Amino acid sequence: MMKTFSIGGIHPNDNKISKDCKIEVLPVPSKVFISVAQHLGAPATPVVKPGDQVKVGQVIAEPAGFISAYVHSSVSGTVKSVGPRQDLAGNNMTHIEIDVDGDEWVEGVDLTDTLVTAIPEDNKAILEKIKMCGVVGLGGATFPAHVKLCPPPGKVAECLILNGAECEPYLTSDNRIMLEKSKEIVVGAAIMKQVLGGCKTVIGIEENKPEAIKAMSAAVAELQKVGKSYEGISVMALKKKYPQGGEKQLIDAVMGRQVKSMGLPIDVGAVVQNVATSLAVYEAVQKNIPLITNVLTVTGNCLPMDKQHNYKFRIGMPLSYIAEYAGGVPEQAAKIISGGPMMGKAIANLDATTVKGSSSLLYLTAEQTVRGEESPCIRCGRCADACPMGLEPFLLQKYARHNMMDELEENAVQDCIECGCCLYSCPANIPLLDVIRIAKGDVIRIIRTRK
Amino acid sequence: MDKLLVSPSPHLHTKTSTKSLMRDVVIALMPAVIVSFLFYGWSSMLLMAVSIASCLLVELFITRFLLKKPSTIADCSALVTGILLALNLPTATPWWVVFIGSVVAIGVAKMTFGGLGQNLFNPALVGRVFLLISFPTYMTNWTRPQGFIGGGLDALTGATPLGKVKELMSMDGATLTSIPEYMDLNYCDMLFYNIGGSAGEISAIALLLGFAYLLIRGVIKPHITLSIIMTVAVFSGIFWLIDPAQFTDPLFNILTGGLLLGAIFMATDYVTSPMSKTGGIVFGIGIGVITMLIRYFGAYPEGVSFAILIMNSVVPLLNKWFHTKKYGRA
Repeated sequence: MMKTFSIGGIHPNDNKISKDCKIEVLPVPSKVFISVAQHLGAPATPVVKPGDQVKVGQVIAEPAGFISAYVHSSVSGTVKSVGPRQDLAGNNMTHIEIDVDGDEWVEGVDLTDTLVTAIPEDNKAILEKIKMCGVVGLGGATFPAHVKLCPPPGKVAECLILNGAECEPYLTSDNRIMLEKSKEIVVGAAIMKQVLGGCKTVIGIEENKPEAIKAMSAAVAELQKVGKSYEGISVMALKKKYPQGGEKQLIDAVMGRQVKSMGLPIDVGAVVQNVATSLAVYEAVQKNIPLITNVLTVTGNCLPMDKQHNYKFRIGMPLSYIAEYAGGVPEQAAKIISGGPMMGKAIANLDATTVKGSSSLLYLTAEQTVRGEESPCIRCGRCADACPMGLEPFLLQKYARHNMMDELEENAVQDCIECGCCLYSCPANIPLLDVIRIAKGDVIRIIRTRK
Repeated sequence: MDKLLVSPSPHLHTKTSTKSLMRDVVIALMPAVIVSFLFYGWSSMLLMAVSIASCLLVELFITRFLLKKPSTIADCSALVTGILLALNLPTATPWWVVFIGSVVAIGVAKMTFGGLGQNLFNPALVGRVFLLISFPTYMTNWTRPQGFIGGGLDALTGATPLGKVKELMSMDGATLTSIPEYMDLNYCDMLFYNIGGSAGEISAIALLLGFAYLLIRGVIKPHITLSIIMTVAVFSGIFWLIDPAQFTDPLFNILTGGLLLGAIFMATDYVTSPMSKTGGIVFGIGIGVITMLIRYFGAYPEGVSFAILIMNSVVPLLNKWFHTKKYGRA
């Protein structure tokens, strides 16, 4: 029997329309705007000023704290301005505007396709490289990768889980890199495994990506012939269920363990990294390439097959540039989402630019996405059945609407992962997550203040 | 794309709505409704029509004229109440009695509490029990089936098997072996039709078909229904094994009266049943035990309605005591 997580979950239509569209490389635009906040934690501090000449891969912003990350220029050219600009979430954030001139890379970068399988021995140097290359988790949270790879003293990593679940409907970028960069991902996994002390490594992939499962298994088998570094890596097919790619759910599915409330995966011996992060680690460590590119899916049911794309993009590209290159925004599009339809952000316009964690440009029609009118709760319990954290959203939303903070905390609102299963499954169209999300923020603030 | 929609995630939504769920319940009730039409003929059709019409009218009247709010009858919940009320009444019930039942069901049990989702008690059952207490003669006036099939018997009034047993067993020194109505029952026939009883109690198979449909469509989960049936089986099984001359057997108790109708369609009502699985199982055990206590030792021959209503009142407590299993908090 295929494994999956034990509590809740939903089965929306996966709509992997673009799963067979090969990755295409987007040409470099004439101008990019690179945000200094492309990661979880403190925004990086710009180290360039208008007029500076930059090359591709040059550091343009440095981490401003322990949980922060380097940001590199994705183009070569002249810095035009450093100033506020709206990011994907609609917040004003410092962006570095660069006028593109040519495509000149920094020294020491290996841009060839040659697979480098020999892994450096010095773990400290590897971690330093991952940090210097600005690698962050590309599964959604964009948590700095090197931090996750250094378990706090006393904690031991027993299992590195590579997240290839790609449980969000529509998204296919992970599927594509698993098909086209299988070996690179496995090398990246082996690097992280070595850093973590040689723990067992499991690559979890949902059953709706049979080609990816095959490709990754083949890559693992082939690399295991190369050397000892690749022992103990395996591929695990998982039953399709959203939100399998949630860190806590994936640990439950793969290891059968559950992370305690407010705890970290490492508490149960787990480290989870996305397959795209693994690819970024490979490029950083083996090729000296900083994280300035990623793959994003342009998709939607209202797009014809020939306008479905998986693009390799550079950070800082305006979304409008990508949309235009892909053939324009379809007329029926009522909502554009950056990310998956379950957890992604609806964007107000295409002025924002790509970041390290960008995963899609998804067009939804009004019919698909407009919520029905809210009606009374009929206490059907579907939200509680769907919640992968085992919470009772119907109860939480009631407490939330009455600002009952003690009751909210008692009923674990702080454990909510904002996956959207509750709101998705509510037959009465009650804005469960909208209300719970706000209450969760308040309760977490209260808990932090108490500490 | 002049204007783009912006809203918090998730951006997709299930197609299942309150209305579609209610519609599924109506579909699941159809086999029982059709069987009642076939066996009881015009009288059960009239009963059904009056019950549905008055439930809808009462809700329409209260929302539009008393509350001055948009009508809520489109959510189909009043329709479900109407059908369930009709299925819980003897087919010979006069129309005005049915109407009073609807007023109590919708007006008192549902709208007074705030409408759909707010009521503590199952509306159709409140309507039925109100009528049973207020109009006992009408409510125990069981007409023998005289519909399009079923033997073409003359309209005769007779007691239900449960009523007969209760009536005769109350005499001194009576044993079940002296009651032909009990001894001659053929359980195989009873699966398909069950002579005497409310409109919806005729056919166990029809009700089970509806149950299967509800399960397949994911409208309800089986735990409450199974918990009731198993409790009744175990409870009556123990008594029957101790003294089969005094206590009716488990199969008799499952197939007669309103047990299946209640266990499948009334006790599983979302609004008036517990939210958690454990709560639902405890709820079902309570219903099963109370039903059997009334049937064996109470004054009424049948106790399903009372049992469900009594357990309805415990639901808030069950919801407080039993919660879902949370991730990482074992």
